[in-house]
Amino acid sequence: MSSFTIPIGPQHPALPEPILLKLEVEGEYVVGVDVDISYMHRGIEKAMEYRNYIQNIYLAERICGICNVAHTVCYTLNVEKLYDKEIPPRAQYLRVIIEELNRIHSHLLWLGVAGHEIGFETLFMYVWRDRERVMDLIETITGNRVNTAYTTIGGVRRDITSDIEYKIRKTMDIVEERTKYYKSVAAAEPTIIARTKDIGILKTIDAINLCAVGPLLRASNVKNDVRADAPYAAHDEVPFNVITYPYCDVFSRILVRVDEIFECINMIRYCLDHLPKGPIRIKLPLKPPKGEAVTRVEAPRGELLHYVLSDGSEKPYRYKVRTPTLANIPSLCRMLTSSGDYIVKIADVPIAYASIDPCLCCTGRVQIVDIEKNKKWIWSWEELKEYSKKEFKKS
Amino acid sequence: MFEIEFAFKILEIFIFPGFLFIGIISLLYEWIDRKFYAKLQNRVGPLYAGPFGILQPLADFIKLIAKEDIIPKAADKILFTLTPLFSFSLMLTATLLLPIIDISGILSFNGDIIFAIAIMTLFCILVFCAGLSSNNRFSAVGAERAVLQLLGYEIPLMLSIVGVALNVGYLRISEIVKYQSTHPWLIFGPQALGFAIYVIAAQAELERIPFDIPEAEQEIVAGWLTEFSGRKLALFRFARDLELVYVSGLAVALYLGGPLGPVISGLEIFFYTFYFIIKTIIVLLILSTIRALFARLRIDQMVNFSWNYLLPLSVLQFFLVRLVI
Repeated sequence: MSSFTIPIGPQHPALPEPILLKLEVEGEYVVGVDVDISYMHRGIEKAMEYRNYIQNIYLAERICGICNVAHTVCYTLNVEKLYDKEIPPRAQYLRVIIEELNRIHSHLLWLGVAGHEIGFETLFMYVWRDRERVMDLIETITGNRVNTAYTTIGGVRRDITSDIEYKIRKTMDIVEERTKYYKSVAAAEPTIIARTKDIGILKTIDAINLCAVGPLLRASNVKNDVRADAPYAAHDEVPFNVITYPYCDVFSRILVRVDEIFECINMIRYCLDHLPKGPIRIKLPLKPPKGEAVTRVEAPRGELLHYVLSDGSEKPYRYKVRTPTLANIPSLCRMLTSSGDYIVKIADVPIAYASIDPCLCCTGRVQIVDIEKNKKWIWSWEELKEYSKKEFKKS
Repeated sequence: MFEIEFAFKILEIFIFPGFLFIGIISLLYEWIDRKFYAKLQNRVGPLYAGPFGILQPLADFIKLIAKEDIIPKAADKILFTLTPLFSFSLMLTATLLLPIIDISGILSFNGDIIFAIAIMTLFCILVFCAGLSSNNRFSAVGAERAVLQLLGYEIPLMLSIVGVALNVGYLRISEIVKYQSTHPWLIFGPQALGFAIYVIAAQAELERIPFDIPEAEQEIVAGWLTEFSGRKLALFRFARDLELVYVSGLAVALYLGGPLGPVISGLEIFFYTFYFIIKTIIVLLILSTIRALFARLRIDQMVNFSWNYLLPLSVLQFFLVRLVI
């Protein structure tokens, strides 16, 4: 049978964000895939070099709307490493609380999207309704629903009162109960199982070789979590289990994320029980000393890496972010390509794609491809400037 | 005398219980379907156009009619223009078969039940033509899926309907309804299984979750409907609404005693119409509930399901009917 290409994206109902999946299709079978992620380059890293460290908190937060807390936590931990000062333990605990709340909302959001991708609209509506409780809670704690700007360099902005603590505990009980219900639905509903079992398989060996991160890696039965392997904030004091499932498919990813919600809830409860007394913030000078630092945190989508190079001024000399979605793109290509007994159908592409929990607004990279000469290269800033000057003169 | 009868017939076809009445209740049923589906999902559903959003389907229809009507350059223009018209008129004709104010529909002849089945298959073939004529990759996949799906549900659907005819002994809808005026409704008995098969197959015929595979939004945009816009899309959507009335009306006629029920003599027309609407709404609510309960199946899973479970069940039901009679 001759094959033809079906472009999924950059605009497509299944995709909330622009990505182009060029599917090589024979009938209903996908035999190859070409991914283009370069529809959303925002130049945040460069923009960070023109703003001071305080302004950059808010910019780092906007790298990704959903896992924004992971970005701010990573950014502030990173900058604090330059100062080499002790951060108050209460602030560390509060950071864990807000980070885990963020993870709960992100995983619930993903569960809803997964339901939507397999055409289960009812699950989508219900999950998103209950996610709203978590959003309200985040608003109560930080004053904002989405971009919370809770952590800041030297600690956190707001303390939690006993009133808020009561609200958190109450909401956690409700969310736990609802999540239990969704787990029972997802694990037993025959159409969900039919659509997710043995779909989007990423074997353990492939997951390790292709450097998958986060829930995707854990669903391929690899015990890897930055919170456990290289604890940051107060994660070394808060006990939790790293969830793994051995099925290596989309179903396994659903179970990993749902079980992680339970772990998050328990972590938040532990933090509230053992919240240390003391200040929530220390003042740090605007200009950090010279030096460089690298920080890894476990974002809801996987390992997130920030790097900073400081030249002693109030602005970073260079800032670099490696987001989890970018790390998972090679694994996605493997998942979407039929090989041997493993067959991918067009109908499985949306859910397999969604199973990495893609967040493209933090993934865009510039790469120039010359199709005629079949060459790929990445331009440096100077070359790009030269090129734009040349093109500008021409026109 | 002849003129009066003729004028009466014209009124029957065009006003009540013909096109106008059917058109109004089909829009009403779309609203009920949307509102009920929304309630099941904890949403509010249509809210703004008219009281409780009851005019929303009409507003959507008018809006679509006013929109720009685009014919893609690559499309087969004749087929692309004609398929919406054909499918709309086909469904409008089909609804004339439904018994609403009497035990027989406006259109009634010997063997009309075969005609009724043929119309459902014809609609699916029109869908296939519509998908192919738009010359779009998503449409082509959608059209291909529509036909594959037809292979899955068509035979169980036919067998369940033929089972009814076998039970009654006539191939005529009015005779089936008449039979149920003296006997208990056909759903009470071995035909209950037939009703269940009919409802599942109808869900596939109407392309609703879990069988909305040919227009799976997340996979192939809108499937065979992708390239249609403006008036053509409006006609297709209206045809879908009419089909909803047709499928649930046929279920009522075959299994739930048609428009029959206790009446006050002299006011039969009102009572029959009332019972028809109540019964079709019950079927509609069953269809909406199924829609809210499942995820979408894949096309191969759907065909597997039909041939592994639906078909043996409908054969079993066929034998049950033979045994009972």
